[in-house]
Amino acid sequence: MESLLEFLIQGVVLGGLYALFAVGITLIFGVLNVINVAHGEFFAVGGYILFAGVVLLHFPAALGVVASGLGAFLLGLAVYPLLIAPLNRRLGRRPAGSLYLVLTLGLSTFMQSSLLAIGGGDYRQVPPLVRGILEIGPTGVSYQRVLVLVVATILLAALFAFLRWHRQGLAVRAVSQNPEAAQAMGIHLARIFSLTLALGVALAGMGGALMAPLFNVYPAVGFPLTIKAFAITILGGMGNLAGALLASLIIGVAESMVVIVVPSQWQNGVAFLVMIAVLLLRPQGLLGRAVTR
Amino acid sequence: MTRRSLLVAGGTATALLPVLVGHPFVLSLATQAMIWALLASSWDLLSGYTGQISFGHAGFFALGAYTAAAASKHLGFSSWIGMLLGAVVAALVGLGAGFPALRLRGHYLALVTLALAELIRLVAQNWLAVTGGPFGIYDFGSFAGLPVSGPARARAAYLLVAVVVAAGIGLMVFVCHRTRAGRGFRAIREDEILAESLGINTTAYKLLAFGLSSGLAGLAGTLYAYYIQLVSPTVASAATTSLVIGMAVFGGLGTIWGPALGAVLLFAISEGLRFIGVVYNLVAVGLVIMIFVIFLPRGLAGLRFRREGRTLRRDAAMTGAGGSGA
Repeated sequence: MESLLEFLIQGVVLGGLYALFAVGITLIFGVLNVINVAHGEFFAVGGYILFAGVVLLHFPAALGVVASGLGAFLLGLAVYPLLIAPLNRRLGRRPAGSLYLVLTLGLSTFMQSSLLAIGGGDYRQVPPLVRGILEIGPTGVSYQRVLVLVVATILLAALFAFLRWHRQGLAVRAVSQNPEAAQAMGIHLARIFSLTLALGVALAGMGGALMAPLFNVYPAVGFPLTIKAFAITILGGMGNLAGALLASLIIGVAESMVVIVVPSQWQNGVAFLVMIAVLLLRPQGLLGRAVTR
Repeated sequence: MTRRSLLVAGGTATALLPVLVGHPFVLSLATQAMIWALLASSWDLLSGYTGQISFGHAGFFALGAYTAAAASKHLGFSSWIGMLLGAVVAALVGLGAGFPALRLRGHYLALVTLALAELIRLVAQNWLAVTGGPFGIYDFGSFAGLPVSGPARARAAYLLVAVVVAAGIGLMVFVCHRTRAGRGFRAIREDEILAESLGINTTAYKLLAFGLSSGLAGLAGTLYAYYIQLVSPTVASAATTSLVIGMAVFGGLGTIWGPALGAVLLFAISEGLRFIGVVYNLVAVGLVIMIFVIFLPRGLAGLRFRREGRTLRRDAAMTGAGGSGA
């Protein structure tokens, strides 16, 4: 019973991390129609910035987390004008289809191996940003995990509030619904695309910083998460933010609960099996609407 | 026609060059380049030529490699049977992936095949009794019937691999250009719904493309296993898929022979970069993918054919596939 509660709490924390990831991917897909295969590399960048800031330069932890988000944001700003806009220009009115996937796969390889070239292949260890254990009834959870959950909740709430009430957030939603009409209303498309991409990967960067003490930091740390986030976005329904949030929690809890039945090294298979099952049984996802073609 | 025979003659002459040079290092690089060429062409058959984007070819490659290695290690089969088994198992799993994929297009297919490859990697890493876990399988022997050691062995191994690879690529070129299936593949790529309404059996052709492509990827895996004589979970990693897609994009999508050429050249470049530093070869692969996707979508193969009709169709190899994905 105690362990059940412990697994549940860990699952919710994991779900919070997945939500940071999957909501970013969903936002980018919803607005740019780009599935960002390189998303996990921004998670790794966030981890490395935190490592450099907190371990090497002895900055306070909070500053390190903010710097990670900012660093990922700035890198993300460059992706649209440098990669996606030139491809769109060449294609003209033709649909890009899977070219975006191949393009961001290239970016992923490039970023991952650049991190390897700069930072080396070692597993960088980061001490917990906050110490101590929170007692919950018969079991306990480390403050580091509580921190992940709290910050993830705040960030996601801030993002949803931004999209709901801020002028630029409104513009983002307008572009996601109808780019041409949004442009006709005077919205600068390129700026919204850059902003959306940067916001999405900044969430991943913060996630990378928060998880660094739990995961260690190495160049390929983010890629498995990217694949898992794809499974989550498919479960929630492609482009559906609330669905992504719900699916993150489901997968997070399922992954930590499944350990009760099967050995833990198979834990990572859960998301992939769910993804394949969803695509076969309910391709539009949990909250998605069926698309009639 | 003359151009094609020139290409074949030129290709054969180039392929024989390493044998004449005969240096073990050159032969070793050339053999590996050949294996990559088969893998890149097999990816192109499914993704470039038929327009069904696979992000899971590392999985099929690993499946072939592991099947062959396990068959030789645990059951004592010779390399010939191991090669056959590896190709068949990979083809069957590819067909199995093809069935659900009939309902998926564009993005979704890529994501599912990516997950499939991760699952294969997970199994390779955790099924200790058969796959040896993280350390992989070793000590299972090499190609049967080759000289035991020395330059003669390197030369014979290269020739064997080159012949198998040439046969595999030849089979794909034949199917694409000389049979109804080739036209079926292209029809699916250009406009699947139109193809269906014209009475083309898109289901059968898609499954054929899946089976053939994954089977030949598996065959490449078996060659890798018997040549390198070590199979570990890293072969199934997404980095392998990324490298293969980079090679195909470099060479030119939808041409079968272009990706083979791209594989040989990119492999040579990335091995050359090892002299500067081991990590830079994948940096280069990432750069090549991005630059070619943005600016030279037809790859090296496209540099030769500048007739308008062809260029448009080549580009459609990828754009047509995912347009209906959302």
